[in-house]
Amino acid sequence: MLDSLYIAWKYISFNKLKTTTLVACIALISFLPMALQLLLDESERQLMSRAAVTPLVIGAKGSSLDLVMNTLYFGDEVPELISMASVERVENMDLAMPIPLYVRFGTRGNPIVGTTPDYFEFRGLIVAAGRQMALLGDCVLGAKVAEILDLKPGDSLVSSPENLFDLAGIYPLKMKVAGVLAKSHTTDDLAVFVDIKTAWVIQGLGHGHQDVTRLKDPTLIYKSSESNVAATAKLYHYTEITKDNIDTFHFHGNLGQYPITAVIAVPYDEKSGTILRGRYLSKQETRQIVKPREVIDGLLQDIFRIKNVLDAVISVVALATALAIILVFALSLRLRQREIQTIFKLGCSRLTIVRLLLSEIFITVLISGVFCGAMIFTVNQYANEIVRMLFIR
Amino acid sequence: MINIRQLEFHYQIGGFRLSIPEFSVERGERLAVIGPSGSGKTTLLNLIAGIIIPERGTIGVNNVKVGELNDAGRRDFRITHIGFVFQDFELLDYLSILDNILHPYRISGALTLNKKVHAHAAALAQEMGIGDKLTRRPNDLSQGEKQRAAICRALLPQPKLILADEATGNLDPDNKTLILDLLFRAVEDYNTTLLTVTHDHELLKRFDRVVDFKDFRL
Amino acid sequence: MVCWSVGVMERGKMGPKRQLWVLYIAIVLGILPCSSHAGAKVTGKLSVYVVNYPLKYFAERVGGEHVRVVFPGPADEDPADWVPDIKVIADYQKADLILLNGAGYARWVNRVSLPRSKMVNTSAKFKDQYIRTKGAVTHSHGSGGEHAHEDAAFTTWMDFNLAAKQARAIAVAYGRKRSTLKNTFEKKIIELEKDLFALDRNIKVLVSNNQSQPLIASHPVYDYFARRYGLNIKNVHWEPDQVLTDQLWMELQKILKTHAAKWMIWEGDPIQESIAKLKSVGINSLVFNPCANVPQKGDFLSVMQKNVKNLAVAFE
Repeated sequence: MLDSLYIAWKYISFNKLKTTTLVACIALISFLPMALQLLLDESERQLMSRAAVTPLVIGAKGSSLDLVMNTLYFGDEVPELISMASVERVENMDLAMPIPLYVRFGTRGNPIVGTTPDYFEFRGLIVAAGRQMALLGDCVLGAKVAEILDLKPGDSLVSSPENLFDLAGIYPLKMKVAGVLAKSHTTDDLAVFVDIKTAWVIQGLGHGHQDVTRLKDPTLIYKSSESNVAATAKLYHYTEITKDNIDTFHFHGNLGQYPITAVIAVPYDEKSGTILRGRYLSKQETRQIVKPREVIDGLLQDIFRIKNVLDAVISVVALATALAIILVFALSLRLRQREIQTIFKLGCSRLTIVRLLLSEIFITVLISGVFCGAMIFTVNQYANEIVRMLFIR
Repeated sequence: MINIRQLEFHYQIGGFRLSIPEFSVERGERLAVIGPSGSGKTTLLNLIAGIIIPERGTIGVNNVKVGELNDAGRRDFRITHIGFVFQDFELLDYLSILDNILHPYRISGALTLNKKVHAHAAALAQEMGIGDKLTRRPNDLSQGEKQRAAICRALLPQPKLILADEATGNLDPDNKTLILDLLFRAVEDYNTTLLTVTHDHELLKRFDRVVDFKDFRL
Repeated sequence: MVCWSVGVMERGKMGPKRQLWVLYIAIVLGILPCSSHAGAKVTGKLSVYVVNYPLKYFAERVGGEHVRVVFPGPADEDPADWVPDIKVIADYQKADLILLNGAGYARWVNRVSLPRSKMVNTSAKFKDQYIRTKGAVTHSHGSGGEHAHEDAAFTTWMDFNLAAKQARAIAVAYGRKRSTLKNTFEKKIIELEKDLFALDRNIKVLVSNNQSQPLIASHPVYDYFARRYGLNIKNVHWEPDQVLTDQLWMELQKILKTHAAKWMIWEGDPIQESIAKLKSVGINSLVFNPCANVPQKGDFLSVMQKNVKNLAVAFE
């Protein structure tokens, strides 16, 4: 047996081009369905595991998929905004604990998630280094963000402008890294968490500046009366919240009208959850309440339907490839007729000849298997990122 | 060494028939078989080697009735008792010269490949003047060197009989002489018998006996 | 337990297998009490953090032995102006409940991260009754409309009817956290409400004598008090422990021209100089301590009862 493998190996390594082509064909055609299945399993795991532990999400009426993707996976598509009044509404119903989320801004390619400390308890997130966010302007980094950006508690991070050309729009805010979360192996590892009020400061709804009633520079004052001082646009708004200026930070207007993207509602029990869902059924309702599990289930059904089509296509391609490979082997055999006749003449049995040919096939398939395995291993290592890239961001 | 009696053979396709009433070769003899193309010289070699079996008659090689052995028996007998040298050398391009020489040991269970055989192969190659070419591939060798490698392959199992089918057919005159010298030396050194099919009449005088094949065809 | 088992094994010279079993059982028995103790923590005292002393008092009255109420502000600082440091903020975050006064009290709350699920705005139910402060200088940006800071007066507990509502909100919050103790909390809140309503009644009766008499308050902390009991109060900004400046005196004079008060209500004991100076223009002093921080003596109720006694003098 070893002799057959030896001779087969010599033949294969001599015919590099043919072997490489065959290995590539076999490896690819084996890799494709496995990689597809792996990615689908990973996407199902990622998407469903997160959806399964998030009971209800409330947001503006519209695409429930966009709402869920933005709320659970911090996807790029920002749903229509709702206000904090939606949070107060849930609180007043006394059926669930509401957790507001404002996922709109980003920093260095990572999403900024404005929320409250309730979110961390809900998701079971633990601070591994530093502390929990406490002051306006604090941020807490997901484990992977800290790793990628090489940041630790005490460092700072600047939010990204929403629109490169909107110079009068959202100002970058320099945030202080208060802590880094322990790895959770979820989307939370890739996010930068801030208090919801900090998110509003990023938006410009809250700001800090000098006391307008004590300004010495006249060019900073537009108009002054006994009851009101109007400042000019020259008045500098702080782009960083420090212990010296934090007391100047304030919010104009009613906080109840301030924007958020969604509310995660955690019902106190199943009955409360059912009642809560019922409260949003009216036709005049401008908000929708969704069960993330159902939405993701629908998405996965669609993905699996597409996968079935892809499977069919791959099967046809695999069949064609298999036929081509058989043809290559058959032609190769034909070309080696003389060699076969010679070794037969020398005293080689037909069985040994078959063994020699099978050994070649075996080694080719083995090498293909190794390459396929290596590719699958690589896909497995990066499955998380690939799924995020394909389905979430 | 070879004893053929009342041999009759024909190919199903083509209608070629071969009839040999009597034919024998003595041990140690250097015999040349000549004849026109298609006269059945290669068929004779194949019958002696047991590659094909006659319809009638007996073929005895080294006192073994080859025609009466089964397939496996004939194969084993062939690889242990008979060395083949072909006109086109029939070396495998993808194996080194050493591997080509050792090839029979890798394709048959009747021969055992061990260190001793390796050493013998190297010595044989040295004797044939290709000792420094063992790691090369056939395409790197000249025609003469290739045939010498083929002869090494044939001689390595220490066969009792060497069947050479136009062994000098593709060689230049110098190499023809050289190859024939090597074959004749092998007959003496290894106490073997040589049966050569050839078209080369210039070389015939060097053989012990020459048989004209036209007498054997029906 | 483990040491005992090791001793047993040594004394008895047990075989190795038996030794392992003894050790295993000892460890399990040792762990069981710990786990049951850990379980007890979950249903133990509620950790309640508050932003001022009145809430602390209400929270302790309603919660009794089932709560541990903390107000971490320093004793010598007005809780309305106090700002906690990061460590204290972390303590607030870990609490089971965070009781807020509402009406803009403790502005630091808007600049820190607190778990919303644990926050209770004790005055949320009567938001519509907040008193908007007049005279605050607003500011705006650019030539656009005003963006006023809509300040509200925040000493809501000075209206004892509203104080009772705040206390009731605490009881409701407790009931949510510890549903098995709802009845206990209900009993306690009823008792507290009785005390607060008694105060409310007493003051109403007390002031009915001369309700419209003009009064001056040393600080604008009596808005809710004035509204509830129909009092005619104008405010100055005088510190009880500071010497009166000429400017402050001038401001008082201006007010007295149209508001001829005979009594100044102080939030704390004033210095003699101030008392004398006021007396020289026919104004008497009385102390009505808002009790925003922990009193040196007594508690919220006793302080308020004393306040009522002090007030009675002005309405005799």
